[in-house]
Amino acid sequence: MKPGRLLDAASAQAIGFAWLRAALAPAGPYGEAVFAQITPFAPGDESVAGARAQRVARIAADHSDAQLDALREIVCDVPDASAAIARASMGDLLEDANFLELQRFFDACERLDALAASDDLPRAVSPEVRDCAKALERGRAGRFGFYLDDAFDAALARARATHAQAQAEYDAAAGRAHAAVAAALDREISLPEFIVMRADLVGPLPVGVRVVRETPTYLLCELDADDSVLGALRRRDEAAAGLARAEEHVRAHLSATIREYAAALDAAARAFGEADVLIAAARFTRAQRCAVAVLSADGGLCFEGGRFAPLEHELKAQGREFTPIDLQLDGIAVLTGPNMGGKSVALRTCGFIAACAAYGLPVPATRARLALFEEIVWLGIGAGEDGVVGGLLSSFAREVVQLRDALADGGRPRLVLLDEFARTTTPREGRALLIAVIERLQAERACGLAATHLGGVAEAAHVRHYAVRGLRGIPQRPATGDLALALETLAASMDYRLEEVGGDRAREADAIALAKLLGIDARVIDAAYEALEPE
Amino acid sequence: MHAQAGDSLLQLWRGSGARSLVVVGTGKNVGKTVTTRAIYRAALDRGLVCGLTSVGRDGETADIVDASGKPRLWLAPQTVVATARDVLPRSPASEILALSPYMTAAGALVYARVRAGANYELIGPPNASALRAVVDALLAFAPYVLVDGAIDRIAALAGARDAIVVACGAAAARTLDEAIVDVRALVVRLRTPRFDGAGESLAIEGALSAAMTARLISAREKRAIVVRDPTQIALTGKAALHAFEHLTIRCERPLQVIAATVASIGRERTFDPRAFAHAVAEATGLPTFDVYAAERAA
Repeated sequence: MKPGRLLDAASAQAIGFAWLRAALAPAGPYGEAVFAQITPFAPGDESVAGARAQRVARIAADHSDAQLDALREIVCDVPDASAAIARASMGDLLEDANFLELQRFFDACERLDALAASDDLPRAVSPEVRDCAKALERGRAGRFGFYLDDAFDAALARARATHAQAQAEYDAAAGRAHAAVAAALDREISLPEFIVMRADLVGPLPVGVRVVRETPTYLLCELDADDSVLGALRRRDEAAAGLARAEEHVRAHLSATIREYAAALDAAARAFGEADVLIAAARFTRAQRCAVAVLSADGGLCFEGGRFAPLEHELKAQGREFTPIDLQLDGIAVLTGPNMGGKSVALRTCGFIAACAAYGLPVPATRARLALFEEIVWLGIGAGEDGVVGGLLSSFAREVVQLRDALADGGRPRLVLLDEFARTTTPREGRALLIAVIERLQAERACGLAATHLGGVAEAAHVRHYAVRGLRGIPQRPATGDLALALETLAASMDYRLEEVGGDRAREADAIALAKLLGIDARVIDAAYEALEPE
Repeated sequence: MHAQAGDSLLQLWRGSGARSLVVVGTGKNVGKTVTTRAIYRAALDRGLVCGLTSVGRDGETADIVDASGKPRLWLAPQTVVATARDVLPRSPASEILALSPYMTAAGALVYARVRAGANYELIGPPNASALRAVVDALLAFAPYVLVDGAIDRIAALAGARDAIVVACGAAAARTLDEAIVDVRALVVRLRTPRFDGAGESLAIEGALSAAMTARLISAREKRAIVVRDPTQIALTGKAALHAFEHLTIRCERPLQVIAATVASIGRERTFDPRAFAHAVAEATGLPTFDVYAAERAA
């Protein structure tokens, strides 16, 4: 799954693209091949993207979790026969391990088709696949194995019988020679070399023994084959060559069958891979309780019950719940609210939902209507800051450079998410810059959300103003001073829902109360409250 | 009067209760494959079906270091192998039992059953953790598994579920005395006792290096030095013997060494077979066999 032009690295990181990609990852090699080629849909593709999301949703609805798990197990546990199909298509002679790969693939196709409860899952089995499976069936050995069985060809059976007879005759001749030497030496002998201690030797070495190396205390010896052994060996080798020819003949026949149907097998592999990808998408849809979004070309982003799935997943692991949010963006809007109130998460939710829609997926919301964006741009906190230490650019300068690039590339349907942009300069100038940027983006008909603590931005830029509802009361600091407990207390007191507000006044950040909750010295807190100028 | 070395080793193996046996050596060309073959032949004579694999660089028809010929293994029908698919004989065809996820330099590792006797090259799993999985997979196809092994790959076998035979030979030492020191040090190391939890201990994360050992000895460390398994003791020869003499070295997952074999034939030197076998037996306290001479040390 490639981000294409939809996301640059910094924006991808900010909206949890890696998490999304991992959540959608297919289980097997065929799915991986398909998944690697997936690119986002672009504006104009609304009907195709919408149809794909509908298809994924139907697959999710038609199967239970257990059925999807069982399907995933099938696509996971299958070797990749693509290389074998490709080699056969070019006239190469396949090896027995290739036939096993193909047989396992055909078996998996049958199992997948049998278990699929929805017509929306691609079918990998075709008459050609069945013909190939039938051609290999005689090689089935045990539950999972493959053997070039005599049943493939009467000539192979004859060659094998001849070889077995010749091998038995050689074994008998060599065994007699071996036993004779062992008896003469009154001991077992190892092969191909063995030691005879000079001290044990009474008289000459037995007939049929050749000395390879002499030392003062022992002789290193080999058996010296006589005419009968050599004759048997020659006949065995001739039989082995005949057997090799017969086996190659069968391999050539099977390889030709695969070659004949290579196009159909390629299509089956592709369908199998697509099924794997769709099964993964359906599992994601069920796990994240996603809904199919209405895709429109009007450039907006509206949803109810929207969730940022990576965080919801993390909270669930801690036994906590994510508070879904509602939002209606028909251009740029401003978002204000307290620290730790979920402003950044609201922005990420917008980006994540837009990304899901761009890949033809149902979105983590109860209802959604949005456009396909050509680009999702994240500016401000969290944009490409990872690993940046020092350097020539200050935090503000980095933001400005990112803004410069974003504005230069404007004019396209974009979702722009600004997280406390220009927070690192003076509030007066930062506010002015933010207002100007919002006006510019609004003029370009971009869609987006700008989270800020600065007051009066929405009114000055003539855009909608959303606010996090915020603290229901000032939470008390836990007596133990435990940070995790403090965060839990905060979460219990915070109403993370968004509401559209009138007026230009930014909501209180409740920064001092939060600093107190998180353990800052009480004297500092008291001093901060004293220093707070009345507005 | 002559003990049958392969059969005696087989009996020791079966007596150990282990279903898999790994042959490791003090160096290259010390008779690991000859020992493996002797035990395999004895198992065949008794009608036992074996699974075989190798670790390290074995399986080449010529030795990677000195280009000398390597003993190949003629395998009888019903034997199961785990080897690289590129070295699996194309004829006579084997029954391909399963494909593994492990890659070797000669292609993916496959499990195959011998249908008609043939010479096989064994190129086994690429690392220690894969070896454990491959041995376990082979045990699903055969009641006994033989591994032509290498010391640095057997860490995953620690825990006494497998038996070990140590092969030593003239090829890996300049003198008989040096060969004896080497094999004694290796056996002492591989037979590191399990830490019983009594008394104070110092757990070593990772390998017990020579430098760390020297510091512990000079500090007159009295606590038990506990490593994860004997392969984590990165000491050989006299240094290993010195360490075991001055420190109480223990492990969490011991190995089960059941015998030693000797190969008195080296390209550049030979030892007197009986003197060599006797010295190894005395130095290691293990039943010791000369598989070339089909003898057990007196």
